[in-house]
Amino acid sequence: MCQLGGWGAWFATNAFFYFSLSDPDKEKEPLRYSGLLLFVIVLGIFFSHMMRLCIKEYKLLKMPIQRQIFYFLLLTAIFSVLYSSVLVSLTTLLDIHLKEDNIPLLNKLIGNAITIFILFLIWNLIYYIYHYVERNRKQELDTLKLESTVKELELKTIKSHINPHFIFNALNSIRALVDENPARARTAITELSNILRSSMQAEKLETVPLEKELGIVKDYLALEKMRFEERLNIEMHIDEDTLSQPVPPMMLQTLVENAIKHGISKKINGGVVRIVSDFVGDHHVLLVQNTGQLNGVVNSDGFGIKSTQDRLNLLYQGKAKFDIKNLNSDIVESKVTMPVHPVLVIK
Amino acid sequence: MHKAIIIDDERLARNELKKLLLEFPQIEVVDEAANAAEGIEKIDLLNPDLIFLDIQMPGKTGFDMLQDLDKAPHVIFTTAYDEYALKAFEVNALDYLMKPIEPKRLADALQKLQQAEEKELGQSGMNRGLLTEADQVFVKDGERCWFVKLSEVRLFESVGNYAKVFFGTNKPLILKSLNALEERLDEKTFFRANRKHIVNMRMIEKIEPYFNGGLLLDLQGGEKIEVSRRQAVKFKEMMSL
Repeated sequence: MCQLGGWGAWFATNAFFYFSLSDPDKEKEPLRYSGLLLFVIVLGIFFSHMMRLCIKEYKLLKMPIQRQIFYFLLLTAIFSVLYSSVLVSLTTLLDIHLKEDNIPLLNKLIGNAITIFILFLIWNLIYYIYHYVERNRKQELDTLKLESTVKELELKTIKSHINPHFIFNALNSIRALVDENPARARTAITELSNILRSSMQAEKLETVPLEKELGIVKDYLALEKMRFEERLNIEMHIDEDTLSQPVPPMMLQTLVENAIKHGISKKINGGVVRIVSDFVGDHHVLLVQNTGQLNGVVNSDGFGIKSTQDRLNLLYQGKAKFDIKNLNSDIVESKVTMPVHPVLVIK
Repeated sequence: MHKAIIIDDERLARNELKKLLLEFPQIEVVDEAANAAEGIEKIDLLNPDLIFLDIQMPGKTGFDMLQDLDKAPHVIFTTAYDEYALKAFEVNALDYLMKPIEPKRLADALQKLQQAEEKELGQSGMNRGLLTEADQVFVKDGERCWFVKLSEVRLFESVGNYAKVFFGTNKPLILKSLNALEERLDEKTFFRANRKHIVNMRMIEKIEPYFNGGLLLDLQGGEKIEVSRRQAVKFKEMMSL
């Protein structure tokens, strides 16, 4: 298509100049000239098409830029010489030429070659620029697509993360309870199912009401209480109005899990896990406090901390905050501050 | 009959294991412990043949506890899921059970224990106070850990408060001074060559005279250890019976 357009334009320009500007003394041969020009153009289309095939075949567009330029010039030169020799020999053989035309053969050859070289060069330049722009656009699109896939994947893995250590320990406790306390074993199985189910559903949801999330956390804590027995004490201070606030699923759960993993389970005499949900100014604040101490540098590579930060960034675009610190010598506090009733874009 | 101690911080987990062990009359659970400190105390007191050891415990981990023991009893690790620990096991083929424990796996582990003990019976030393060649020590270096039979150790080298243990192609550090080791090791096998080294006599390949009336020992691993003049006299005495 482009070729037809380009060569058509060449045809039109030449014809126009021939008819309007050429020497008025000369005899005009419109039919003959058009025929010759048409012949020139058909040949041109054929050669530029061959050139395109060559570019594709040798994957010129994928070479480093210096080589690209070199090969483009070389290719253009070769094809213009080829073209002009074919054109001149054919026109001489078939005897299609204008009457007054009696220029020596070699001159004709060189003259033609130069004209066509410039033409081909322009043609190649356009071809090259077109592909360059196209490729850039495609690359940009691919990068964007990749970014969104990565983001989605990240969210998924973050959400579906339940510590396998916890699952197997819970199962082990349940097995022990089957004989010791069958009724407790039954509720424990329900609690574990709830947690597993919501961790799977969490992949589909951006946010859940706090009430639902708290349900999971309570099930989780009940199971941990079964394991740790008197070593684990649980306190909850929940403002009822915050129950309908949307929160990222499994986030509070992750924080509580970390409180137990890094706090309670390290203490021979155990300790307390305290969960607070309240409004502070125009923010909804979630606190998880636990017995223990952050030792030295907080390992921000740790899955819990990093993923919580990332999730909040992804969901609230920087309007939510997370930090974790030693509240005093015996208590670690992690704190999530989110805007109240944020307008969320649900994909 | 084997005396066993279960060390796990969770009461339910201990109960579950005890229940499973009822099927194996050759194992008698003599006591249980809820953390590493309690564990060490009870191991010293009861001298069990076997311990079931949880890795993740409050205070010290199971690995830390083993490092504090002079000599490790037979150990079967129990763990729910711990990538790091599993990595350590893969390399060294220590025995471990995953909670919830499969009865079949437990039977296999106990079977293995039986075989290991039969093998030991032939070479076991009489002297309970000293560490003999048949005894094993637990060694942990970063993420890797080993149970090493003393007969496989060719050299202990002093590095400050630590000792470097040479066996196979490994030379991890243990937190024990050379002097403390010397006291516990059987001097018929382990000879204090100089201030910095204790060598396993059975791992010596070649003995050459050295400066000043000392000796130079070539060990099987290629290490060359100098014997000080004073120790060389003792060494010659021992070798000539």
